[in-house]
Amino acid sequence: MAPLAVISLSLCFLLPLLSPAISTNSEGNALHALRRRLSDPTNVLQSWDPTLVNPCTWFHVTCDSNNHVIRLDLGNSNISGTLGPELAQLQHLQYLELYKNDISGEIPKELGNLKNLVGLDLYGNRFEGEIPKSFSGLKSLRFLRLNNNNLTGSIPRELTALSNLKVFDVSNNDLCGTIPVDGPFGMFSMPSYANNMRLNGPELKGLVPYNFGC
Amino acid sequence: MDSTQISRFSLFITFFSCILAFSFGDNSSSTDAHWLLRIKSKLVDPAGVLESWSLRAHICSWNGLTCSHDEAFVIALNLSASTLSGSIPTELWNLVSLQTLDLSLNLITGSIPPEIGRLRNLRTLLLFANNLSGKIPTEIGLLKKLQVLRIGDNMLAAQIPRSIGNLTELRVLGLAYSQLNGSIPAEIGNLKNLVFLDLQHNSLSGFIPAEIHNCEELQNFAASNNMLDGEIPASIGKLKSLQILNLANNSLSGSIPPEISGLSNLQYLNLLGNRLNGEIPWELNHLVQLQKLDLSSNNLSGTINLLNIHLQNLQVVVFSNNALTGSIPSNFCLKNSNLQQLFLAQNKLSGGFPLGLLNCSSLQQLDLSNNNLEGELPPTIDKLENLTDLLLNNNSFNGSLPPEIGNMSNLENLYLFDNMITGSIPVEIGKLQSLSTIYLYDNQMSGSIPMELTNCASLTAIDFFGNHFSGSIPETIGKLKDLVLLQLRQNDLSGPIPPSLGYCKKLQQLALADNKLSGSLPATFRFLSQLSTITLYNNSFEGPLPDSLYSLRNLKIINFSHNKFSGTILPLTGSNSLTALDLTNNSFSGSIPSRLAISTNLGRLRLANNLLNGSIPSELGRLKELIFLDLSFNNLTGEVPSQLSTCQKLQHLLLNDNHFTGKMPSWLGSLQDLGELHLSSNNFQGQVPAELGNCSRLLKLSLHTNNLSGQIPREIGQLTSLNVLNLQRNNLSGSIPPTIQQCKKLYELRLSENWLSGPIPSEIGKLTELQVILDLSRNLLSGEIPSSLGDLLKLERLNLSFNRLGGELPSSLGQLTSLVTLNLSNNHLRGQLPSTFSGFPPTSFSGNDKLCGPPLTSCMDSAGHENNILSSTAVVCIIVAIVFTSTVICLVMIYIMLRMWCNMRKVLISNSSEGGGNGIEQIKREDQERWMYGDEKKRKGEYWRVMSSMALVPSQNHDDHISSSCIFQVKMDTKKLGI
Repeated sequence: MAPLAVISLSLCFLLPLLSPAISTNSEGNALHALRRRLSDPTNVLQSWDPTLVNPCTWFHVTCDSNNHVIRLDLGNSNISGTLGPELAQLQHLQYLELYKNDISGEIPKELGNLKNLVGLDLYGNRFEGEIPKSFSGLKSLRFLRLNNNNLTGSIPRELTALSNLKVFDVSNNDLCGTIPVDGPFGMFSMPSYANNMRLNGPELKGLVPYNFGC
Repeated sequence: MDSTQISRFSLFITFFSCILAFSFGDNSSSTDAHWLLRIKSKLVDPAGVLESWSLRAHICSWNGLTCSHDEAFVIALNLSASTLSGSIPTELWNLVSLQTLDLSLNLITGSIPPEIGRLRNLRTLLLFANNLSGKIPTEIGLLKKLQVLRIGDNMLAAQIPRSIGNLTELRVLGLAYSQLNGSIPAEIGNLKNLVFLDLQHNSLSGFIPAEIHNCEELQNFAASNNMLDGEIPASIGKLKSLQILNLANNSLSGSIPPEISGLSNLQYLNLLGNRLNGEIPWELNHLVQLQKLDLSSNNLSGTINLLNIHLQNLQVVVFSNNALTGSIPSNFCLKNSNLQQLFLAQNKLSGGFPLGLLNCSSLQQLDLSNNNLEGELPPTIDKLENLTDLLLNNNSFNGSLPPEIGNMSNLENLYLFDNMITGSIPVEIGKLQSLSTIYLYDNQMSGSIPMELTNCASLTAIDFFGNHFSGSIPETIGKLKDLVLLQLRQNDLSGPIPPSLGYCKKLQQLALADNKLSGSLPATFRFLSQLSTITLYNNSFEGPLPDSLYSLRNLKIINFSHNKFSGTILPLTGSNSLTALDLTNNSFSGSIPSRLAISTNLGRLRLANNLLNGSIPSELGRLKELIFLDLSFNNLTGEVPSQLSTCQKLQHLLLNDNHFTGKMPSWLGSLQDLGELHLSSNNFQGQVPAELGNCSRLLKLSLHTNNLSGQIPREIGQLTSLNVLNLQRNNLSGSIPPTIQQCKKLYELRLSENWLSGPIPSEIGKLTELQVILDLSRNLLSGEIPSSLGDLLKLERLNLSFNRLGGELPSSLGQLTSLVTLNLSNNHLRGQLPSTFSGFPPTSFSGNDKLCGPPLTSCMDSAGHENNILSSTAVVCIIVAIVFTSTVICLVMIYIMLRMWCNMRKVLISNSSEGGGNGIEQIKREDQERWMYGDEKKRKGEYWRVMSSMALVPSQNHDDHISSSCIFQVKMDTKKLGI
């Protein structure tokens, strides 16, 4: 039986034992934060060692010559969990390939800050909620594939500002409202929108509100 | 009497006295002696504390025994801390005159038997700190005279018996550090004399019984580290004598009852690690005796309304890790306060630095880290003259560091990292002779690092990572004899490393990476014998390494990458504890030292982009922990030693861009963890080893630009994780194996510039994740392009140029909407280009026989496609017809509109006279409805015909209401036109 005097010791551990910032790198931290959100039964993220100077030698991560992450390839990798705002720190990211996994939750609106993103492939997951309006900030985006998820809400009109958008696929979701016709949306064909029971055909501006039926 | 008779007699006596003892309660010291000797024989006594227990001496002189004044009875047995083991002998329960039994701090095992209830005279029972197990017997409740019961620090399990409530004389009850479960019995409230109750570190659950308030004498109540839940009973406030209340680390919920303010003698209150919510009750200000208060790690919210001006005895306040908001009250402290430690970390406190704290000049430790505090640090911060630890990290403080900080002469630890502090380090910092740790990392500080910092003779750790410090490292840094950590990474420091740094002989970690430092490494580094980590990457260091670095035997991590170092790397091989050596992108020359193999824990060896020559030493095969081997972009020659096959943990093997020769080793197939294999740009010959198919975790395989010949092995299809396959620029022949379809995760496939022949296997169309490129150019591929290539919907670049592909271009290729670049040139293709290809330059298709359509010449110009093309006269006719018809339609439309407009006016006028009103609105509404429901429902609408005529749909039902309107005439007109 310990004397009560010992209990005052409980105060001492509160003084944090802080370690110096040996390993700080924002892109590596962002990816490591992602790893903590994900369940990875097949250990595809095993090589993600946060103590390394940068994440460029981690598998499924590709860097440019300046050691900035430009690709994240985790398609078809049996991962589940959610995405978080920290991915927005990958400022040089060009391709975010997370297709055909079991990722759920909302698509973080912060992804809209990825100004260099060319391809965003989130198809074949369980994403829910709305397509973030902030995606209008993806100025370099050419390929946006969000098909086969559980996305709801209308297609944000802000996306019509994505002048480089070449491929847009939101089929097999639960979107509603009408389909935009401006900007790049003039050239996408109907299969891009298939199997959204509440999606109502091309918008007729002035006649029907774009979120008609939402 | 002979000896047998004696022994028989003594046996008789013993037996008789037993009878006496039991039947008449006779417990004279002589019978006690008998039992004690039996007890002695049963206890294991390695230290011999029971040696004096012998009939040769009087029982009252036996070690650990105390007799009554008349020496008639043994009244106390004290064998504490005597290394005794074994279980409690049953004979002990016969010593019924015992008033004190102390067997604490031994190694006694077994349980406490129910017979303990026979020791009715016991006043003190101390069995704590043994290995007793089992439960506390209910019979303990028979010991009515018991005043002190301490049986904790054992392995006693089960519940606390309710009978403990019978021990009404009890003053001390200690049951801590066991495995007791169940709840605290309400009968504890019967213990009116209880002063000390210790139940810490058990598995007690349930509520704290409200009856506890009956223990009016209680001074010390500790039940921390259990699983108690429910609320803190308000009645606890009636314990007027309570001085210590410790309920830490339970699952208590609800708010802190304001009645707790009734504990007017409380000196210590610890509620840390519960689920308490609500605000900190203002009534706590009544606890004027309080010295230590810990409410950390709860869900407490609201503002801090506790005032040191009321609680003048406070020494320690810990509110860390709650959800407290607002700022700290300005009148928090008195000048003559006793507050020494104030921990408010990890809350949501806002506002500027709490000036109210500056009156707490007694403060020694202040932790405000991880809050939302902002603004500048006050110059008057030096009023906290006794402060040793100042933790303000992870806030939003800005402004510069006030020079007055130099007056805080007791300061030992200064944590300001993760703020937005600007400006330079004041030179006054040099006055801090006690300063041991200074962490300023992740701020916006600039200016040079003042030389005065090196006057802080006690410094052990400096971390300035991630600021904008410029200038050079102070030349006098060597004065810091106790320095263990120097982290200056990611600043704008320039100039050479001062040679005096070598005199910081205790230095273990040196991080100068990501600066603009230059010059060569000083020879004085040989004195850094404790150095284990040195990272200098991304600077402009140059010159050869001093040979004396070889004497640094404790080096574990070396990263000199991206500098201009030259000469041999031998000086870095003195340590046998290296785990990572990264010299990428320097100008090191000479050969790879075989001595590297003595560091058997080496995991990462990266020597890429240097001028290394010679061959790979076979000794590297001893590096069984090697995960990363990068020797790319050097001048290495010879064959890859087969000994490397024993590096079975290799995940990255990068040997590209050297002059390696010989066959590509087949043992590569045994490296099961291999994820990245780059052997490109060498002189490897022979076949691609089929064994590579065993590297099932391979993600990137790059063998391009070698002299590889033979076929692509069909085993390539076993690489089901493969993302990138690059075999271009070799002498590979034969056909592309259809098994490649199993590499389902390929996003980049390059097989160009080989001698591959035969058709493109249609199975390539199964590689639907192909994205970056499919490059099959400059081969001898023939036959038609398989239409399955149209399934590669993600493909962005397709190059099939310079082959012998023929036949019609499959129209399915038009589905490749992701294509950014396309090259089908120099084949024998024919047919019409899909319309989606019109945006590609003509050169994408040049050198083919008969391709047509935009961007090439229109197919109607090409011969051989007449059947698709109309004669030019027909075209002219059609155009004339179209122009004529559209003109007519336009004129009709204008006519209709005019008539409608005039008619509408008439109708409106007539409707308004009928009281119909709002005609236009009705038109709009019906228009909308029609959108939704179609035309069928609309027959009743008066203006429906207006709409239908606008849509040029003739109606047969035209004369219901309007007999002589112009609308009717319009319809007739449109009918005549036959539209």
